[in-house]
Formats: sequence, structure tokens, C-alpha cells
Amino acid sequence: MIAFEHVCKTYPGGVEAVRDLCMEVREGETLVLLGTSGSGKTTTMKMVNRLIDPTSGRILIDGSDVMEIDPIELRRKIGYAIQNIGLFPHMTVAENIAVVPRLLRWSRQQIDERVVQLLAMVDLEPDEFRDRYPAQLSGGQKQRVGVARALAADPPIVLMDEPFGALDPITREQLQNEFLELESEIQKTVIFVTHDVFEAVKMADRIALLDAGRLQQLSGPAELVESPADEFVEQFLGQHRFQLSLLTRTVRTIMPAAAAGPHPAGVPAVRVRARGSLVEALDLFKQTSQAELPVYAGRQFLGRLEKQRLLKEIAKSLGSTGARE
Amino acid sequence: MIAVTEFLQTLGPQMLQRTYEHVYLTFLSLIIATAIALPLGVYLTRTRWPALASGVLGLAGVIQTVPSLAMVAYAVTLLALLKTTGAPVPTIGSFPAIVALVLYGLLPILRNTYTGIRQVDPAIIEVARGMGMTARQILLRVELPLSLAIIMAGVRIATVWTIGVAALGGLIGAGGLGDLIMRGLRTVHVGYLLAGSVPASLLALLSDWVLGRVERWLTPPGLRIQPSAAEKGV
Repeated sequence: MIAFEHVCKTYPGGVEAVRDLCMEVREGETLVLLGTSGSGKTTTMKMVNRLIDPTSGRILIDGSDVMEIDPIELRRKIGYAIQNIGLFPHMTVAENIAVVPRLLRWSRQQIDERVVQLLAMVDLEPDEFRDRYPAQLSGGQKQRVGVARALAADPPIVLMDEPFGALDPITREQLQNEFLELESEIQKTVIFVTHDVFEAVKMADRIALLDAGRLQQLSGPAELVESPADEFVEQFLGQHRFQLSLLTRTVRTIMPAAAAGPHPAGVPAVRVRARGSLVEALDLFKQTSQAELPVYAGRQFLGRLEKQRLLKEIAKSLGSTGARE
Repeated sequence: MIAVTEFLQTLGPQMLQRTYEHVYLTFLSLIIATAIALPLGVYLTRTRWPALASGVLGLAGVIQTVPSLAMVAYAVTLLALLKTTGAPVPTIGSFPAIVALVLYGLLPILRNTYTGIRQVDPAIIEVARGMGMTARQILLRVELPLSLAIIMAGVRIATVWTIGVAALGGLIGAGGLGDLIMRGLRTVHVGYLLAGSVPASLLALLSDWVLGRVERWLTPPGLRIQPSAAEKGV
């Protein structure tokens, strides 16, 4: 869907921000650009909506070169959210969300309906929040509005530059979880920039690890953690590898192929997500103090997971990562 | 009390007439100064040559340092020179006064427009670009609303200055309250001095107050709210 072909960006003054980048972002996936500051991750993202133009190489969206698309048209079709400061302070929440629909000349009624729908989607009571100004919102609320605004015109592609970067850890975690849930419903192609490896592992379908403008590894989170391509990647993950390996192994990987145990009637409120990590499952066991819990992939019942087996798998997982060090 | 009534009875009609002229001189000059300084200020924030911006702002600053008396004299002399080349320009009356006042009013408006737009957070402007606003839409929907209060503060300063300087119009037959002050000076008559200077001061105070209200009114409501009032919680 989005293809980078030998993309380079050299800034005036000679800083090579991106060097010969080749990769593809698949339709509907969340690709995380991960790296330290100066790795070229933000430059890479901004070249997609032409906030920055590449020095050489091509970026194709559905086969057409972005350099041949009018940048104004292009940007209106791509959602854009950045770290906390992104809201216009002189506009209300509703006006902020309505920016792109207005640029696209939607009707008044269409815009109002969309604002209500989006606010509900990001868990903000429309009647309470519509007419507030950004200064009257908490950090978490601002960020929700930022996400709603990026999705306003229902763009197929969304760019997010450290959208949860300025939040406290608890709020960040909550927003990450909500965004994951939202994302699984709306199926956007998301390019997500972060320097936080835990956030990357949590949010990504695939991670592109960048360093000094070069792509070091492009793979799923589990693969990145379990088989780092080279020494650099291994160093980058550093002492976090134990923790990360627990986050990247999903519950599905430890479930037997066929559903075991009696099939419950309806979808219970307390259930383990098959896509969730082992740590997430462990948390749930702690909270509920049950000996076993049902596992679901969406609405589909996969079987029951015993706490004992989960603990054994976690121990095994730690052992295998440790053994290779 | 009787003295005041008598004073107003003899000088009242003149004071009204001169006040009207004064207001006319100041406001016409301010409108012209704003019409020049606002677009110029916006342009200077956009020029590719930063030296041009500092050059123009520097020049406007230099104009400001010319004593107001000299400025009026310059305006008259300049127009007189122009007249010798055959240009149909009046050298006395309100025209040279307005030229001097416009030059005086330029700087505060120009400087505040420039700094007002420059102080808008670049991240906000990049978001506006990223969302697909054209340069014009960014100016009209983001930059100007966010700098309007600062620009208005410049207009307010220019107004108060201009009202003061306009009194010098009395020297060159431009009318206005300066005319009464000049007469008071020539005849050593305190009554005329008061009749000219008190309304001028009141005019300055009143404009300052009114424009202060306008400034507040033009401040986007979202910026009047202090972040400390923000609700806590997610």
C-alpha cells in the first residue's frame, strides 16, 4: 500500500536523515517506526504526507508517486496526529475535529454528526466535551481529541508521531489499549513513530527499527525480540529483552490447536484476549484470582487457560531468551 | 462652577469642532497606517530573506526616533520639494499632518504583527500543514486568530501615540486640538491651553480603554482560559 523505494533525505548542511530506505507498509497494518532521536523515524513519516520531500527515491501510495500528487490533496486524505501540542488552542474540541471535514467542504450536518460519532468513539461524552477548549482538557483528553481529529475524514492512512509521548504512564497505557481496540475495529493503515520499545512492541503489527537513517530490521515484534538481525538490534533491546519477550509472545501461541473444555454460552465479560501478551494474561489472573480463564479471539472461543500452564510457559519463555545470551 | 459654565459657553463649540478634527486626523492616519503595516508585517514573516525583515523593522524603528516636531517639519518640507517637481500636493493643512502621523503609527503595528505571527508555535503550524491547509488557510484560520490580540495591542499603542502627536497639527494648520493649544501659547491664555489639552488627554484615555476592550474581545476564548483551570483526570 505504501512503498518506500530507495528513499534518501539529506538536509541542507549535509545531515543524512534517511539513507536508502526500502520497505513496504501493508494495507491495514500498524507499522511502528522505532529509533532514538536522530534515527530518521520522524523524517520518514513526514515524507509520506510531504511535510518533507525526499532528496531521492520514491514513495508510492497505492502505486502513485506522492511527488506527483498535490500535497494539499494528499494531506487531506492522510490522518495526522502528533504529541500533545497538536490541538489548535483557539478552537473548541468540535472545531478541532472538524478541521479536515471543513477543508473538504462537508455539510454542516454531516460534520456535526461525525463529531458526535468520533467523540463517542474515543470515550468522551459529546455533550460535555464538544464546546470545551483544549486548555480545559487534561493531557489524556487532549490526546483522545487528537486521535479523533486524525480520524475525522475517515482517511485510509493515519500518521502518528509519538501520540502518547507526553502522558503519564497510566494514562498512556490506557490510551494505548483503547487505540488498539479502536484500530482493530476501523482497520486503518497506521504509521506510528515512537522511541519507546515497549510501546512499539505493544502497538505494532511490524516494527521498522531505524538507526542513523538506516533500516536495521523490519519484522514482527516477536521476531524482533527473539531473533535480532544483528548486534545493533540486540544492543538496542538491551536489558529489556526478558520483559519484551513476555510482551511479544501472545496467548494464542500457547493455546492448543483445538478448543478444549466446555464451550461457554455467550461471550463472558472476563476473558483472555488471544492477541494479548502473556503478561496481560497473568495480570488478569492476578486481578480475578481464578485458576483458569476462557480465551477468545474476538468472539471466537479458543479454549481455557490454566494459571499453572501460563506460569510454566512464562518460565520457559524466560529460559529460552536467556539461554541465547 | 460659574466659571466652568462660562468657559464652556465661550469655548465649547470650538472644542467640539477641534475634537472632531482631531479624531478625524488620528483615525484616518491609523486606518492608513494599519492598511500598510498589517500586510507588510505578514509579508515580512514570510519572506525568504530574514535580512529584509530586520531591515524594514529597523527602518520603522528609526522613523520612530525622529522627534515628532521634526517629523511634522519633514513632512511639510518633503511635500514642498515634491511640489516643486510639479506634483499636485498640498504643503499645509491636514495632508502633511496625516503623512507624519501615518509614519509614526507604522512601527507599533508593524512590529506587533510581525512578532505576533512569529510567536505562534511552529508545531501548530506544521500540524495545520499536515492536515492539508493551504498557506492562506493557515494564515487566516490559525496564525491571525492566534496573534490578533498582539496585533491589536500594537494598534492601541499607535492610537495613543498618534493622538498625542496629532496635537502638532496645530503648527501647520491641520486643525485639531493642537490649534487651541497653539492659540493658548501665542496669547498666553490658560483657558485655550486647557480647552486643547484636556480633551486630547481624555481622547487618549478613552481610546486606550475602548481598544483594550476590543483587544480582549478579539482574544480567542480558548486563549483566555488559564490551563490551571483545566480539569484533572483522564
